[in-house]
Amino acid sequence: MVKPDESVTDPAIMTAPELVIDARAIVTRFGKQVVHNGLDLQIRRGDLVALIGGSGTGKSVLLREIIGLHRPDSGSVTLLGTDIWTASPDMLAAVRRRFGMMFQEGALFSSLSVAANVATPLREHFSLPEDLLDELVRLRLALAGLPPDAASKMPSQLSGGMVKRAAIARAIALEPEVLFLDEPTSGLDPITARAFDQLLTFLNRDLGITVLLVTHDLDSLVGIARRIVVLGQGRVIADGSLAEITAVDDPWIQSYFSSRANLPAPIRHQQ
Amino acid sequence: MPRPPHPSRSPQTSRNCSPETRPSRRATFDPHRAVAVKTPVEFCRIDSGDGATVLMLQGLWQIAQADRIAIALGKLGKTVGEVQSIDGKGLGAMDTAGALVLLSRLRAAGIDPGTIALVNFDPSHTRIVEVVRSRLPSPGPAQASQAFGLAARTGQIASNLGMTLLGHVDFLGRVVFELARALRQPALLRPREFMSQLGQTGVTAIPVVALVTFLIGVVFAYLLGLQAEQYGANVFVVDGTALGMTREFAPIIVAVIVAGRSGAAFTAQLGTMKLTEEIDAIRTLGLSADQVLVLPRIAALMITLPLLVFIGDVAGLLGAMVIGQTMLDITPHTFLDRLHTALDPKHVVIGLGKAPFFALVIGIIGCRMGISVERDTRSIGINTTSTVVQSIVAVIILDAIFAVIFQQLGW
Repeated sequence: MVKPDESVTDPAIMTAPELVIDARAIVTRFGKQVVHNGLDLQIRRGDLVALIGGSGTGKSVLLREIIGLHRPDSGSVTLLGTDIWTASPDMLAAVRRRFGMMFQEGALFSSLSVAANVATPLREHFSLPEDLLDELVRLRLALAGLPPDAASKMPSQLSGGMVKRAAIARAIALEPEVLFLDEPTSGLDPITARAFDQLLTFLNRDLGITVLLVTHDLDSLVGIARRIVVLGQGRVIADGSLAEITAVDDPWIQSYFSSRANLPAPIRHQQ
Repeated sequence: MPRPPHPSRSPQTSRNCSPETRPSRRATFDPHRAVAVKTPVEFCRIDSGDGATVLMLQGLWQIAQADRIAIALGKLGKTVGEVQSIDGKGLGAMDTAGALVLLSRLRAAGIDPGTIALVNFDPSHTRIVEVVRSRLPSPGPAQASQAFGLAARTGQIASNLGMTLLGHVDFLGRVVFELARALRQPALLRPREFMSQLGQTGVTAIPVVALVTFLIGVVFAYLLGLQAEQYGANVFVVDGTALGMTREFAPIIVAVIVAGRSGAAFTAQLGTMKLTEEIDAIRTLGLSADQVLVLPRIAALMITLPLLVFIGDVAGLLGAMVIGQTMLDITPHTFLDRLHTALDPKHVVIGLGKAPFFALVIGIIGCRMGISVERDTRSIGINTTSTVVQSIVAVIILDAIFAVIFQQLGW
């Protein structure tokens, strides 16, 4: 029940934060198609990592394997110190309280209002008094950048950007230590997408949440990702800061980054 | 630290003691244990030394403790209103939930959470408090509760029902118009979709229709036979089942089965297409959704339902024949012989003639409920349920209307 103190400690102060995600030798096959072939990925606390790669390189699948939704054919995934694929149901349930996931289409419960969506995990895991719960839900909505009047709306009444914000609000409801996002800015206009980037930076920097996102959005990469992991040929083909990634001699990476001519040059990442 | 020797633990007392008194002696006051139990529960205390009132925080201020923190803050009572600064030296951890409880309690006590000073806070804790402080939700319920009175609710339901029926009538008009157009220009009918629907609504429904009507025929003939036997009028069971099955039972039963099967399928199929914007895509491509999707379904159903009713007639009579053979001493030969004389073909025709109208109603309701699915997945389920209920009710109402009309016409 009691989390270790590191959970809220500033990552900048600590010299080597512990690993929160440790995926080793992941092999995933769909029929004859090999998606991951001995893939390794380690992420430390406080990181903001973007996962990129061409279509079919298994970015979303990897995400689902890390959070325990899809079993890899072989390999191990350790999330927050728990081996996801050998853990007992109780241990798994305990880990699930410590991370949040935002699905690509939001996956809001369409029969519940936005406020009830955010309240669902809180009600499930804690017995909070109604007024505190209500206040906590409104804080989550405010943290996700939603206006107060969005609380009583149904998911079908929200715009695409607001659906994603509501999904974030639900994902951070339990004060997660790690937040997973599957293409958070897809389908959003650039202005909304940049606001979303700021939201992620804020969650990462100010709330100390480790963030792993799958994205195709170059602006997101340039703007927020401290570390970029490129998947290809069933493994990690490049891993590092934006400058390091762009220097890698790989045809896919080169064509990916040259698809945008107006990248700020020289690419420098603010630490 | 070694525990000081307790008088009751000395050997001679324990030897003299009876077993019953032992537990009570264990529960005697032990200062060390009392301290050990109390410490982690305390989250905050007020320190008013040096003339300044300071709220001292300690322990873990996280969401898992949020309810107990709220109670602990509540116990401080009115003194919270005099707090001038908050000391976070003893804080083990703080998350946004903990900060929220703290700040909203201060605000409730009349302190502006924006001005209160934070002392000895870890930088990460300060940041959490600052974040929550800047986004502190305003007090009071976020949503106005909408409580409607009985009259308002009744009115709303009646109005919704009226709008639904009006929509059905409107849709019926459109479909009949399209149907008429398709009859004049058969090219407008989409043969592939039409044939596929004939298969889905007709051929695959045969087993369930045959089984159910056969059993209805069995049950009906059996119950009728029990009565007829008392008067030695066994053979009249044939008259009764033939008339009942062909004119009423087969059409109604088959229509109800088809409403549950094909009507629900129409709504689910079209509803999913609406959700995935396929219907919009059809419109954008310059095609009419009514023509491409609705017409083949309704036309197919209007053709297959009478055929299914005919299968129902036959299966029902077969069921009656089995009962006649086994329980009522009516041989199949006698049964068929009696059937020829007793069953006026007009009853069969009336039964079959009602079927296309039932099909039209089921098709209209099924397709329209599918097309009027809203943007969320939940409404597919709601509309599918609604289709089945509406179709069955509509079929039975229609059948009652037919009964009255035929009665008046003397058929």
